[in-house]
Amino acid sequence: MEFEPMDDFERELSQAFERRPAPPGLKRRLRERGLLDGRRKSPVRRPFVSWQLLAASVALMAVLSGTLEWRYTEQLRKEEAARQEVLTALRITSHALNQMNARLAARHRAAAQD
Amino acid sequence: MAHDWQPDFEQLVDAHQSMVFSLALRMTGDRGLAEEIAQDVFVELDRNLARIENADHACFWLRRVAMNRSADALRRRRVRGIDLWVEMEDVHGVPAEDRASPLGARLEQLLATLPEPQRAALVLRYQEDLTPEEIAATLEAPVATVKSHLQRGLKLLRAKAATHLKEYIRGI
Repeated sequence: MEFEPMDDFERELSQAFERRPAPPGLKRRLRERGLLDGRRKSPVRRPFVSWQLLAASVALMAVLSGTLEWRYTEQLRKEEAARQEVLTALRITSHALNQMNARLAARHRAAAQD
Repeated sequence: MAHDWQPDFEQLVDAHQSMVFSLALRMTGDRGLAEEIAQDVFVELDRNLARIENADHACFWLRRVAMNRSADALRRRRVRGIDLWVEMEDVHGVPAEDRASPLGARLEQLLATLPEPQRAALVLRYQEDLTPEEIAATLEAPVATVKSHLQRGLKLLRAKAATHLKEYIRGI
């Protein structure tokens, strides 16, 4: 149905279907329910997400992510330190073993000459 | 986000009570039920006032909720097996200025005999002067469906009027 001009019948319908006045009882019943006390305004409208809430959330996220990052870095640092300690111990052990090996070889050579 | 518009509930009731009541009355044909529906619609508006964005949104919202609540009431009545539209002719207790003209009353009676979706489309078209697109948005139905309801409803109403209201209407 395109919006053609109304014909006579449709104009009759528009006139016949004019809005009827609401019964006075309607407002009375709404007033009895306390909905029409003359002072009712809509509650102060707050944004669904306030800027304060958004800023607090961002700050909290930043603190949390910073803490997590610091803990991760700290963990890596401790692991690296432990690895270095193990490597140092292995180097010392290796050095001691080399010395012991050299002495044993010298004794074998001396014994062979005797 | 925040809206600048600050709705006043009583002003909204004053501005739209006639529309809400008339929609409910023409959908149900029962003044008492229509008044109850209108009351429920405004109680619901009060609960949802913070979501209303502007005056046009309030009007759209009220139309949609009035049509939905009327459909709910019709469904409940059908379940109970109560025959509707028995009170449309019963004008006792209705102030004379609130009564429809004889032709209006007869057309409303004929409207009552139409299927509910066609009745809804015609009421929104000829009472509220809405376009098919606006009716579709109000009823949450496809535009093509609304256009079909309008065409069929108007054709049916025209045929019924040609039979019953020939003496009243020209150009049927």
